Amino acid sequence: MQIPADAQYLDIVRLGLYGIASKMGFSYEDIEDMKVAVGEACNNAVLHYMPDQAVERESADAVQAAQDELQITVEFEVLPDSLTIKITNSGAGFEADAYMEKAGPLEGEDASGLEVGGLGLYLMQALMDEVNIHSAESTQVVMTKRLLPLQ
Amino acid sequence: MTLNKFQAVIHETDSAIIVQVGGELDLAAAPELRSLLETVVNRTDKTLVLDTERLAYIDSTGIGIVVSVIKARDEKKAEFIVKNIPRSIKRLFDITGISGYINEGTVS
Repeated sequence: MQIPADAQYLDIVRLGLYGIASKMGFSYEDIEDMKVAVGEACNNAVLHYMPDQAVERESADAVQAAQDELQITVEFEVLPDSLTIKITNSGAGFEADAYMEKAGPLEGEDASGLEVGGLGLYLMQALMDEVNIHSAESTQVVMTKRLLPLQ
Repeated sequence: MTLNKFQAVIHETDSAIIVQVGGELDLAAAPELRSLLETVVNRTDKTLVLDTERLAYIDSTGIGIVVSVIKARDEKKAEFIVKNIPRSIKRLFDITGISGYINEGTVS
């Protein structure tokens, strides 16, 4: 499915994911995990859009127009024992490696020291069995959840 | 599952300001909650309560909002309670490490 890179459409992605994952027989808890992980990847696609320099030089309006045209593609790869979701944005990539390094849970001596940066990627890694980010011309996040057979 | 729109309302009692949230708190809903909380986060005369009983979804955006309220209230030495946390939400609070900073109040 393809949606505009706008937060207003993210619930549609979760709805589609719910439909496919429940058809495959995933548990309620696994589906909740995937909804958050996929949501985080889409959040990044919406928030970390970086206009290329040519567009940026032109004007703020040109940047806005480029952002308005930005699309997020969500692909579902259904296998008998796993679901792989690929989230791709059509905008320029971001520095995935630096971003990956920042990922972690909240840490701080007390509440005043808490920083929430990197939480989204940390959640993706914690909630899925596999997460990979490819960043070049565009950014693609590929995440997989394994479907365990009934005992 | 159907689209479960985010909702937030404020009630005030003699001792507490209660913010009830329901539905899906995602990137699209975050600005609404953020601006609602801004109106009460500095009220040190009463305990601030976030009632999450009907919250169906939260992501790092929503967790970031809760963290910012924890920090703001901590700075003012004002009480902040998050109550009725659903199991699926609690799990995310545990994974992200925010649980250790949340005051769930006394279970009544």
